[in-house]
Formats: sequence, C-alpha cells, structure tokens
Amino acid sequence: MKSYRPQEIVVEPGVEESPIYRNVKRAFPDLPFLSSAETGVLTPPDFGAAKRRLFLQRHRGEFLKKCPGSDGQVCCNYFVINFASNCPMDCSYCYLQEYLGSNPALKVFTNVGDLIAEAGEMLEKHRKFFFRIGTGEITDSLALDPYIGFSAEVIPFFAEQPNALLELKTKSDCVDGLLGIDPKERVVVSWSMNPQRVVDADEHDTASLDERIAAAKRCQAAGYKLGFHFDPMVEYDGWEQDYRNMVERLFAAVDFRRVAWISMGVLRTTPALKRAMRSRFPSSRLPTGEQILCPDGKLRYFQPLRVSMYRKMLAWIRAAAPTTFVYLCMESREVWEQVFGFIPACEKELGSRMTESVAL
Amino acid sequence: MDQEIRSYCRSKGFHLHTEARWLGYNEADRSALLEMIREVRPGENHFKDLLDWLDEIALRDGTPIATLLQKELSGVVTDPRLGRNDKLKRLKEELRRLRFPRLAGIEDEIHRRIRNLKLPRGISINVPPGLEGGGVGVKIEATSQEHLRRLAADASRAIDSDEMKQIFTMLDSGTAGT
Ligand code: SF4
Repeated sequence: MKSYRPQEIVVEPGVEESPIYRNVKRAFPDLPFLSSAETGVLTPPDFGAAKRRLFLQRHRGEFLKKCPGSDGQVCCNYFVINFASNCPMDCSYCYLQEYLGSNPALKVFTNVGDLIAEAGEMLEKHRKFFFRIGTGEITDSLALDPYIGFSAEVIPFFAEQPNALLELKTKSDCVDGLLGIDPKERVVVSWSMNPQRVVDADEHDTASLDERIAAAKRCQAAGYKLGFHFDPMVEYDGWEQDYRNMVERLFAAVDFRRVAWISMGVLRTTPALKRAMRSRFPSSRLPTGEQILCPDGKLRYFQPLRVSMYRKMLAWIRAAAPTTFVYLCMESREVWEQVFGFIPACEKELGSRMTESVAL
Repeated sequence: MDQEIRSYCRSKGFHLHTEARWLGYNEADRSALLEMIREVRPGENHFKDLLDWLDEIALRDGTPIATLLQKELSGVVTDPRLGRNDKLKRLKEELRRLRFPRLAGIEDEIHRRIRNLKLPRGISINVPPGLEGGGVGVKIEATSQEHLRRLAADASRAIDSDEMKQIFTMLDSGTAGT
C-alpha cells in the first residue's frame, strides 16, 4: 500500500504536548509544521488537495455519537467515535466527498485523553448495556495509524472495558501498531473487502486485496477478532467469479471461527455524490450500473438485482464460513426478508445478535 | 454553434455550470445535443437528466453521445407526429431503456404478464417504480356489492394463475421461473 505523506502539517497552538503530535513529528521530521495561528484556517482548494494537508487540532464537542444509519433501513445500533475527519486514501465512491464536501480538511484530533474520559464516563454509567463502538465513520480507522499512533492510545483502554467492543474498520494494512497490544477480546479489526479489480479501479491508494488478507491474518494471530465488510459490492461482468474467489481466498487464510461478523452491502451513492464522482473520477464506471433512487435518497442496484447478488454472496460465505454472523448494511426490511427469510425485530435485536456472535 | 448553445442556455435561464458542461463536450456531441435541443426544447432539469444518462451510457458502452442521439434516439427526436412534450417524454423513456436495460426488460415482462391476466375494468395491478419494495399493489374499485363480488372472484383467479406466480418470481429475483 502506498504510504501517506502530506505536503505540510498545520498545528493548532497548544496541542504540542499530545502524544498524537509527538508521533506525527517523529513520523515526518522533514515536513513543515505550520501554526494555524499564523496560517489561519486554510480552506483547501479541493477535496483531493485537502488530503495532502494534515491538521492537528483539538476536538470540541462530543466524540461519541450514535451511528446515523439511514432512513427506513434496518440499523445495527452502533456508536461512532470521530478521532479524525477525512481520509488519506481516495476511493472514487467515498461518501465523504459529499458529506465533508464543504469541510474537507484532513484533521486528526489530538485530545485523545478527552475521548477516553468521555467514553469511560458513558460506559461506566451504563454498565448494563453493551456498546459496539467504531472509529471508521468519517475516516479510515487505521490508515493514519503508523503516523499518529492512535490505536496504541485507545486499545489498552477499551481492552479493559467489560461492556464495550471497539471496531477498527479499514482498507489499509497498517496494523503494526496493534500487534504488540493485548486486545483482551474487546477489539475487532475489520476490513472492507473487494476484488482486486475493484481495488485497482476505484479504491485508490488503499491496500491491495492480498495485503488486506495478510494484515487480517497477522491480527488474528495477535489475538484480535476480525470482521469483514463486503461493502460496497459492485456488479460488473465477471463479478461472481471475482467475489467468490475472494471469499474462498480470505477464508483459506483466516479462521472463520474467530471472525466476529461479516456484512454485505451493495454500492450506494446519492445524486450529489455521483456529481462529485463524475468530476473527480470521470472514468470510473461505478455510476453506470443499474442503480435507482431508493426511498431513503440513496441510489442502489434495483432490488431484484441486488437481492440476487446478496443471495449468491451469502451462499459463498456460508460455504466458507458456515457459522459466522452475516448481516446487511443499510438495507430495507423487504431485502432482509428476501435474503435471510427474517427481519430483525428492532435495531436492538440486530445489535445483540452481533454482540452474541462475538462471544466466540 | 457555440453561440447558439449560449443563446439557448441564456434564453432558458440555464445555470452557467450547465452551459459549461454542454460546451465541454467535443464538437460532434455538442452539435448532436444542439439538434436534439432544437426538436425537444427541454428545460434545464430535464436537460441535465438527459445529459447524465447519455454520459453514463456513453461511458458504459463506449458509444459517443452523438452516435446515441443520431442512431438510437433520432427516431423519437425527429418523429413529426409528436409534439415537443411527447418527444421529451418518449426520449426519456427510450433513454431510460438504454440506461437501465435489465430493469426495463423486467418491467416490460411484468407488464406483459399483467396484461395477460386480462383483468376486468375495476381491478388494477401495479408494481413500484424501479421495482423497489418488491411488492405488488392491487386495487379493486367496485360500484356495487355484486360488482365487488365478481371482481373479487376475478382477482382470486388472477392470484392463482401462473402469470401471477411469474410476476412475483421476477420481482424477487429478476428472472421468470420455468
Ligand atoms: S477508505 Fe473509506 S474513508 Fe477512506 S477514501 Fe475509501 S471509502 Fe473513504
């Protein structure tokens, strides 16, 4: 995978004592570190350029948020921690192009102590509940880890929590910083998976499929539970062969009995995201699929097509990982019923099924 | 030609982005779009929709927009029997068919099977746009209790028919059973 190297680093005065700042300084000793007091708040000229200027700043407000899900879709009751905003990689379909369109700066929040204090308070206050918490909603959980060392700061905290599970979701292979820490069954490292053909065409600067599988294998050997997100699934001539091979290769390399969960989700865009894709990645063929506008405002492959994709994929997964919990991401109740023959009664039911599946 | 494009855009109050997008195509595409515009005279939103679909088909099939408009769609655009509104409607239908060939094929097949049911007036069967939702809507409108009884019996026969079974199979997986 291509390593990340920003052109410059902009630092908010007062964050120099944070471990994140020290790690970044160590990782990029030769890069200019500018003070935001002098530069002011620089608005990056465009989304791609924004990825090349790294901001280190404090996060103001709450770190923990309930995952917003999508209107009318079955949700899995998940919390997110935003420790950074935007991502150093550059997938053509990335929803951040729309979501962060007006504020695309690549920021890392340095006040990890506040994050841990906030999470600790919530978990302590609600010991009767079990929380699944992810860090990959508006960034990739691990792509910046070699430079910022975020995981080494938070994993030891989550490893001690009796009522939480931390999911680190990535398309990178940046796992070195995790391997020496004992996750004590409290951390799931998960990968978003796609055949190499999709990686090459649309997941720019991410780890290759082989690199993702190798990194997963290393994490499993180090005691981490794994998760896999076959998301976004892309339909093209020959997709069946590619996805089937990928599933088979993956489960030949990792032990499915230590896989916490697998999700499936087809490519989702919106009209605004499609416009951003057209302007930033004009040769991407993703927007040319037979995607229609669904009631939640997202474009997906029309229902009979995506149901048939999910059923095929589920059969390949079941053949390779027969007992692993599989769920659909951002899908309607009708599609759940068609694919699995049941609909989770509520988001709590889906969440608790996932939690049970981790008690491996 | 570019002057004519600009004047059309100004006369219709198109946003400068839309004008720039049109002017950004190669000469053959610009000119084919202009010919189409002269015949159909769409407003900006319709024009942008047409451009989106044309762009996507061109990218997917490697067929230039000019070819699409002059070969695949010229029959509609130049049909003298159609007024402007009908031309636009038909053009969008034809373009949707090219843009979503499998979806359109399934929808056509479902509608064909609905017609085969030969339902009497008073019963209508609808499938959702884009087949999203996977359900079939059945509406019965009767003018008397006896009429309702007859329609319910007709609906019941339709429910048990092979055509109805195939409609649900297509909604479920996109393919008809054997
Ligand atoms: S890895 Fe995720 S967050 Fe990063 S660009 Fe790709 S889709 Fe966006």
